[in-house]
Amino acid sequence: MSGMPTVVHVTRRRLLHGLGLLGLAGAVGPLLGAPRPAAAQGNLANLFPEEPVDATLRRLFGGRPIKDGSSVMKLELPLIAENGAVVPMSVEVTPPTQGYVKSIYIVSDRNRRPMNVKFNFSPDASLPFVGTNLRLNETGDVRAIAELSDGTLLMAKRQVKVTVGGCGG
Amino acid sequence: MAEIGRVRIRIPSSIKAGDIVKVRVLVIHPMEIVERKDGKPVDKNYRFINRVIVTYLGKEIVQFETTQSLSENPFFSFAFKATEPGPLKVTFLDTHGGKYEGTADIKFS
Repeated sequence: MSGMPTVVHVTRRRLLHGLGLLGLAGAVGPLLGAPRPAAAQGNLANLFPEEPVDATLRRLFGGRPIKDGSSVMKLELPLIAENGAVVPMSVEVTPPTQGYVKSIYIVSDRNRRPMNVKFNFSPDASLPFVGTNLRLNETGDVRAIAELSDGTLLMAKRQVKVTVGGCGG
Repeated sequence: MAEIGRVRIRIPSSIKAGDIVKVRVLVIHPMEIVERKDGKPVDKNYRFINRVIVTYLGKEIVQFETTQSLSENPFFSFAFKATEPGPLKVTFLDTHGGKYEGTADIKFS
């Protein structure tokens, strides 16, 4: 009888010790191994995939029809961009009579990652006008797609001739 | 490079209540693009701005989701309706956890 508790005691201690080590290993492992997940947003896995433009449109909008919006959208781009690294672009959408313009997507057909930028607007305070500088890889269409608050999609596109690509090798 | 994150905001010199104000913002940032080695993209944490948030009177008015296909030292222009005098704040967030801010005071004259 007197021997039994000792045996149990030892086993339990060993067990606890083992568990503790396991726990420690579990806690330290992620700290040392994988890079900090919160900060590493620029890794390839987190970028938009390299894909043809059709796949991008399908991924963004599913099968929803995209109407021609050239009458209400003013897309300004140079006809010829000598330097593809800096291509000034601006787009202005005439506000719809009902609802508002929720967002504007800029998609360039011939870039490796066609999805360029998405502008989100608020219902009342902002106006559907934006401008920025794009990087274009080679000559091709640039599309601006406006999504209205009721889900309608409108598109305007323009071809830009690029003399020197802006996306590096 | 020491200048990374410097933000410049340009607003019209005179604004009246109810005006549509066009703003231009510029930030100094490298906007790194994907490097390739033997035709394969190199996997690393590229440093580029992926979000821009603009608030006016403490309320978010526009928000941009950006990628590397914007040029280095990107500029943005946008428009909003000036209803009251107050601060216009532009915040840039990059993939390395950087946060760069600029503010402009909207005053009526």
